[in-house]
Amino acid sequence: MSIFAAAFGFGLVSMSVIALAAVGFTMQFGITNMINLAYGQVMIASAYVAYYLNRAGVTIWAGMIAGAVFGAFFSFLLNRFVYAPFQRKGTSLLGMVIVSLAVSLMIANLLLPIVGYFSVSYEEHGGSLVRIGDVVLTNNQIAIIVLSVALMLGIHALLRYTRLGKAMRATAANPTLARNCGIPTQRVIDMVWLITGALCGVAGVVAALNSDSFAIANGAGFLITALAAAVVGGAGQPYGAMIGAVVIGLVTELSAAAWSPEYKEVVAFGILVLVMVLRPQGLLAKRGALAAAG
Amino acid sequence: MKTIHARMRIGPAACSLAVLILAACGGGSGNTGAGLGSGDLLVGVLAPFSGVDANLGPAYYAACLAAAPSINNNGGVGGRNVKCQQFDTRGEPADAAPAANQMVASNSNLMAVVGCTSDEASAVAPIVNGAHIPMFCMTGQSEFNKTKLPYFHRLVPADIYDAYAMVGWALYGPSPAPFHKAALVFGDDIGSQAFVDPATNAFTKLGGQVKNFPIKLGASSYRTEVTQVIQYQPDVIFTEAIGSAGTFLGEFKTLNGGKMIPIIGTSATIDPEWFAAVKGAIGADDIVKYYGGVDLGYTFSGPAYTEFLTNLNAAASTFPQAPKYKQRGSTLHLYDGIVMSALAMVATNSKDPKVYNPKIKEIANGTSGATEVHTYKEGLDALKAGKSIRFVGAGGANTFDQYNNSVSGYILVKYNAAGDEVKVQDLTTAQTEKISQAGGI
Repeated sequence: MSIFAAAFGFGLVSMSVIALAAVGFTMQFGITNMINLAYGQVMIASAYVAYYLNRAGVTIWAGMIAGAVFGAFFSFLLNRFVYAPFQRKGTSLLGMVIVSLAVSLMIANLLLPIVGYFSVSYEEHGGSLVRIGDVVLTNNQIAIIVLSVALMLGIHALLRYTRLGKAMRATAANPTLARNCGIPTQRVIDMVWLITGALCGVAGVVAALNSDSFAIANGAGFLITALAAAVVGGAGQPYGAMIGAVVIGLVTELSAAAWSPEYKEVVAFGILVLVMVLRPQGLLAKRGALAAAG
Repeated sequence: MKTIHARMRIGPAACSLAVLILAACGGGSGNTGAGLGSGDLLVGVLAPFSGVDANLGPAYYAACLAAAPSINNNGGVGGRNVKCQQFDTRGEPADAAPAANQMVASNSNLMAVVGCTSDEASAVAPIVNGAHIPMFCMTGQSEFNKTKLPYFHRLVPADIYDAYAMVGWALYGPSPAPFHKAALVFGDDIGSQAFVDPATNAFTKLGGQVKNFPIKLGASSYRTEVTQVIQYQPDVIFTEAIGSAGTFLGEFKTLNGGKMIPIIGTSATIDPEWFAAVKGAIGADDIVKYYGGVDLGYTFSGPAYTEFLTNLNAAASTFPQAPKYKQRGSTLHLYDGIVMSALAMVATNSKDPKVYNPKIKEIANGTSGATEVHTYKEGLDALKAGKSIRFVGAGGANTFDQYNNSVSGYILVKYNAAGDEVKVQDLTTAQTEKISQAGGI
């Protein structure tokens, strides 16, 4: 078995998981101007929603839908009752980052006595192995890749071909002008939080499913990876986040195969630093889906 | 005014009398102190309660919750009740040092500190030592093998001995041992990697092959690392990987076509959370069949253990998870450490750690003619009768060396399906010596 081929296969899975998380995260920023550092905690909370349903006998795929619904409504309420009031008061971007950090800590500490600090696993394990040459994946991993591609295409279609998507792009480009043109920006922003929250929920369940066990402490790691992919791609750009996910996901696994697994994060974040130095706005900053038309 | 002067003259006399009475109540040998004071005493549980190693702190907190009633139900320490408080280090030295400083600065009634794992011991031990508070640390780091911190106590062996015991399992354990080709899967942090060199030296010099596969603890996946391990084709995996063992071993089983290979774990893997995580990932049948661990030779019986178990179960009313730690070595040892500290205070009739700290070692090791005691009450009674004591607690006898390290013999264990430890066999002195010589100690 070629270790590089195997690592490439694992990289496909990693990038699929990262893409789901990063696109939701970057859309929140791109359209609502909110760097939501509580994103990782909402992911892990959604993973636990699916876990408890799974333990009660519900399949993990149904649990994933429940996780998405939880993520959507939790994110919606989080914005309505926490973030939006601060933004209305004119809190600066840095101030909002601190608010989201506080929310992140609050969620983590509220969850801890409920879910415990220990690792848990879904009842549904990987399933049978599928070998394509030297690439070895489980049924669940293939399902994760397919799901991720489908959702990315769905996001593309939403942004490009629907009225809502166009309204999102207009709101992202200039919210005041969009409002003056008759776009109900508040409703658009609500929809953004619902959609990205659902993505966040799905990403949390998928990340937990992809890992054979997970714990409350994984929330921070989820955020860092999503943040890295979003920044590499260009903050606020969904297509950029997809490319960022490909870069981070593949490079992480291939570098582990080429050198030592000890260095895989060093390599991934080394690329992040390199992008920041050479192209601070990210890979797709001016050509993303949320860029102004024309 | 006359009355006031009279009171002023009577005051010192009354105080002197009170001190004499207290000293007499303290009884026991080596009574050199100046009173036990008043108010509650505090045991600081300085350990990770959040972060990747968040499973460690609760085991130590449970020890304190079990030890406190053992002392308090028997009159406390000269009437002072013992309380327990968590101080979260998050498993990070950067968080641990402020937590330790805050603990010692804001609690003048600290009688002992327990916890201080390998995650943070280097950062917090000097702080606690500087505050002259006896501490019982759960670290196997070699830097404490010859520590010069007089308030540091270690009731568990250094990591190198755990590593040697794992080699012992691989070479002298029951079938399918002996093993010949081992993959070492430990965290890539300094503390976890402390197992690697001694295990590698000993195993290779005794004829085995070994390769190190360090992993980043807390990662969401290890598939590439697992593939590298599978390609190496080991016949056994040595591991600890606290917090990540479930993920790693689950992925190993999946990518190895649903088949496990034997796993040998450190003494830290004898832990209900480790068991639950790995069981969830590979299933109870496989963990029972393929897991082997090393542990110190606990009996889980006798008056000390009975009292420990009773108090641990009772602690469930305030800490529901407490009973899970009934066979956790560190919980047993820290329970003993707290009881020994309390007895040392009584024996010296002193609340001053500078006075009672040396007594802890004396009570643990015993002196010639010392009476063996197993509970706080037995110790208290013996001290009141003017006897010197040796405390043999729930975790068994302790023998501190000049560096306050206590080392005892190892046993080889497995798990049953319920997650209880099952002894398989002893590691003999001859076997241990042979491995130690091969390992270079």
